[in-house]
Amino acid sequence: MSRVLLIEDDILLGRHFERSLLSAGFEVRTCEHLVGVMDVVDSFGPDVIVTDILLTGSTALPLMNELMSHDDLSKIPVIAITSLADDITLDALRPYGVRAILDKTSIHPNDLPASVRKVLP
Amino acid sequence: MDRGVKDRVLTPVVIAAHELKTPLILLRQLSLGLQDESLDLATRQQLAYQAQLVSERALRLTSDITKAERLEDALFEMEPVSVAGICREVVDELAPLYRACGRSIETKPRRQSLLAVANRDLLRRVVLNFADNALQYSSPDSPVELSYRLCGDSTLRLGVRDYGPALDVKTLDDIENRLSRAEVVKARPHSSGLGLSIVKKFAEAMSSEVGLIRHRDGATFYVDLPLSRQMKLI
Repeated sequence: MSRVLLIEDDILLGRHFERSLLSAGFEVRTCEHLVGVMDVVDSFGPDVIVTDILLTGSTALPLMNELMSHDDLSKIPVIAITSLADDITLDALRPYGVRAILDKTSIHPNDLPASVRKVLP
Repeated sequence: MDRGVKDRVLTPVVIAAHELKTPLILLRQLSLGLQDESLDLATRQQLAYQAQLVSERALRLTSDITKAERLEDALFEMEPVSVAGICREVVDELAPLYRACGRSIETKPRRQSLLAVANRDLLRRVVLNFADNALQYSSPDSPVELSYRLCGDSTLRLGVRDYGPALDVKTLDDIENRLSRAEVVKARPHSSGLGLSIVKKFAEAMSSEVGLIRHRDGATFYVDLPLSRQMKLI
């Protein structure tokens, strides 16, 4: 079973995304902010990370930078899920390890599991 | 990319649109979830209830935006207001939303009843905004606390304390500085800070001040109000 680390600071929205991933058969761990998230990455060993961009107390960029600074972790595909999709291009986020951007304003429940499957190693 | 996101020009309309985007995104997702026929009845009822709570939250925001825009034309009755009563009302109103998010909110009981000179509606909106903002920064183990205390002889401080993830000093400095100046309060990263800007306007309309105390494990947003002497006459 593939493992997905979901980082979403909107509690109810996070539960909704979590439910769609669980029902698609993924093992999911959800974090609401970046505090302690690297410990979760180490202990949970996600195959894919799905993260919001603007988070409580931070953006997701410090996490992405941290992941990119480790040889093994830099290989974990990251999916950005954001309401700022109009302002962000995949080209701008590729250096941060992002393989796909999902627009929160137009995403359907099946889009997230489909995107995860697409980027799985 | 980082600069691009942070430096966008935030006009009031853009800010309002951004703030309303969040509950609308959630409402849309909840609606899509409700269309999933494979979900059991209990889950569907839960989603419908969450949709109601999110709608009420969005409606509070639209009501606050309208109120803030019309502040200059309005006259506000200032009267002795029980801050304990305001705290209880806010806790009662937000408790369902907190529960739905697996969080809790409470008011610290206090033996002494204190009255502030304030406009009841505006004060309630100020505290609702603080408490709504704190939801995002609370943890399941630590309730958000509403409390009040005397500050000197003539000021009553009503605060909302969260125990969420510590914010970096720069972010806190930014909020603190902007709270003390007449400009849009750009709050924590996920937020445009519209709520805090509105709070600042409401507080100023009551000749009150809002501020922020940083803690190692969270923050307290507070409003300082003139203490009513009415109780001393009883």
